[in-house]
Amino acid sequence: MQRPPKLVVLSLDGVPHGLANRLMDAGHMPALAGLCERHGRPRMMRSVFPTVSCVAWASYATGRNPGKHGVFGFVDRRRGSYDLTFPNAASMRGPNVWEILSDHGKRVFGMNVPTTYPPRAVNGILIGGFLAPSLEKVAYPPAEAAYLRSIDYRIDSDSVIARESKKDMLADLAVTLANRNQAMLHYLSADCWDFFHTHVMGTDRINHFLLAEALRGESDLADGFYDYYRKVDGAVASLLDVIGDDTPLMILSDHGFCPIKYEVQLSRYLVEKGWTTPAGTIQSPLSIDPAKSRAFCLIPGRVYVNLRGREGAGCVAPEEYDAVRAQLTRDLLDMLDPNGEPVIRCVVKRENLYWPAGQHQPDDANINAAGTPPYDLAADLIAIPHDGYDLKMGLSAPQTFLTTQLEGMHTAHDAMILTRGIELPEDELEIRQLAGPILDALDVPAGEELDLAQVPAPQGVA
Amino acid sequence: MDKLSELENQSIYIIREAYHHFNKLALLWSIGKDSTALLWLCRKAFFGHLPFPVLHIDTSYKFEKMYKFRDEYARKWGLDLIVARNEEALARGVSCEGNKLECCNELKTNALKQAIAREGFEGLLLGIRRDEHGIRAKERYFSPRDEQFKWDYEDQPPELWDQYKSQAAEDTHVRIHPLLHWTEIDIWRYVQRENIPYTELYLSCEGKRYRSIGCKTCCSPVASTASNVDEIIAELEVSTTGERDGRAQDKENTYTMQKLRALGYM
Repeated sequence: MQRPPKLVVLSLDGVPHGLANRLMDAGHMPALAGLCERHGRPRMMRSVFPTVSCVAWASYATGRNPGKHGVFGFVDRRRGSYDLTFPNAASMRGPNVWEILSDHGKRVFGMNVPTTYPPRAVNGILIGGFLAPSLEKVAYPPAEAAYLRSIDYRIDSDSVIARESKKDMLADLAVTLANRNQAMLHYLSADCWDFFHTHVMGTDRINHFLLAEALRGESDLADGFYDYYRKVDGAVASLLDVIGDDTPLMILSDHGFCPIKYEVQLSRYLVEKGWTTPAGTIQSPLSIDPAKSRAFCLIPGRVYVNLRGREGAGCVAPEEYDAVRAQLTRDLLDMLDPNGEPVIRCVVKRENLYWPAGQHQPDDANINAAGTPPYDLAADLIAIPHDGYDLKMGLSAPQTFLTTQLEGMHTAHDAMILTRGIELPEDELEIRQLAGPILDALDVPAGEELDLAQVPAPQGVA
Repeated sequence: MDKLSELENQSIYIIREAYHHFNKLALLWSIGKDSTALLWLCRKAFFGHLPFPVLHIDTSYKFEKMYKFRDEYARKWGLDLIVARNEEALARGVSCEGNKLECCNELKTNALKQAIAREGFEGLLLGIRRDEHGIRAKERYFSPRDEQFKWDYEDQPPELWDQYKSQAAEDTHVRIHPLLHWTEIDIWRYVQRENIPYTELYLSCEGKRYRSIGCKTCCSPVASTASNVDEIIAELEVSTTGERDGRAQDKENTYTMQKLRALGYM
């Protein structure tokens, strides 16, 4: 390697702060623990609401609130219709850190970070991640596909396998991680990077499918879980080997995890409460009868008023908007699980969560039901569940409360971050703010349009 | 010379070049407006009689009106029509209700591969145009494909001063795109001038018409009141939407949905 990068980021998707500490204490992650001995334990960091990886990483990459970058979840509706669309880097607004750094002449590298597909043109290499359909399309410049193909690089582990066999999933995760590690080491020595960010998605996958099993312990699958984390630690060790003791480094996750009690089919609940009327045949999570549906939802917990003038065929008059939101909020908070426990922790209004263009904080006065793009696509209410209640859509689900092969769900308060040679803001830290320290470390000014200020979590969440 | 005649001349030149260079040449006819216009140009290039076959890749999911149109004009124009279907995949029940990516791959790409292997075609005439889609803007008039059908758009022969590379290595074929420089509205103006037949799917029916046609399962009509070619041209002159907006661009979406479903997001 000519010289180590000026800043290295390794992100481990969905590793909770508490789990990282427990894994280190139990000796599963010695390389990470060694780093902590010299540079302190990981800090707790707040994720985004609703807590979804694509939203979290879009906020990380753009340094903006979702009201400005426009990625509100993995699924959205096409503006003015009930057709589904899948936001990605092509629809995300604002330059990402790789682009900002490129504009200042920095050499940048990114691999596998969610919401970087389709890869934008940068001064360096940007390899997309989850939801990129093929090696031909995953990378900028596209010619990198040849190298990736030569090492049998996998964009992501295959969750279809996990649904069928968790044992096979472990094997699939191991291969995916080994190839990622190989590619990381190859690219580390391939250029004089200023910014080098590699992402591991498998930690999120294994938490989704094995978290409860691992916490119960004492099974082959639980052993497989800890074994996978040892392999992740091996990747950390191989990275540290190459970059040495002095290269500024950031190791972080984008959200935490907790075990699932129930997968909650929120669309079905809205049907029961008379808010949503499904269409005759249900072909998609939004196959609703718009004339009879006063509200509908998208995963996770994003509830929309079917507002006239904004939605494709809205039936709620603008003057009813506030009253409808108030009643929806009451109905959501009233929801109980089969044991009589409350499901929803709080319901946040869009104006308390999303920031419109020109604002660097929530804007209460901005209770506009319309709003300017991309803020206008935001959900009107965001239902935030108690831990254990994983909010789904499930318009055609057989019942509201289900359990499936999934064992873990995302939590917002307990992402983690560990740094070496990087100044982080004190107090509460949110993943959105990290563009600040990254640009700072590379002497690139952060534009005023970035949302780098600390703001408290929305009321009721904590 | 007017613009349409210039376009026509250039296309006929390319068609004749292709016929001169390739012993085994075929025209890929999708029954849509572009490849039908191309068919018309080929007939003009050879004074009404096509000296090579016309290949229709039939997924079996095309519109009834397309099949009727195909058979009617194959007869009227005395075409040597080859209909290619991936019978093995159809027998397995491949359809877009399962996996759209697989469906297109089996019923279009593999059906074409089989036909090329069976008939030994070296050159294929296609009616694609640069303005249809961003990726098509990078195309050449003579565009080599390897045995895997891979198109290496970063390594293409230059086409300067109307000099075209028409040599193909073994196991490869060359795609020839005589309409590359036409636009959607050029096609309709040419259809109007030459009175070229087209299927009535392109005309408004209950406020909607198809602007681009393929499999009936994967095409949606666009809002339109255009009931004849003049009205289509008038509509296109002011249209700001994409020609292929009604085509399922959702092969990738289907892939995305599968991935999200496995993770419980759908």
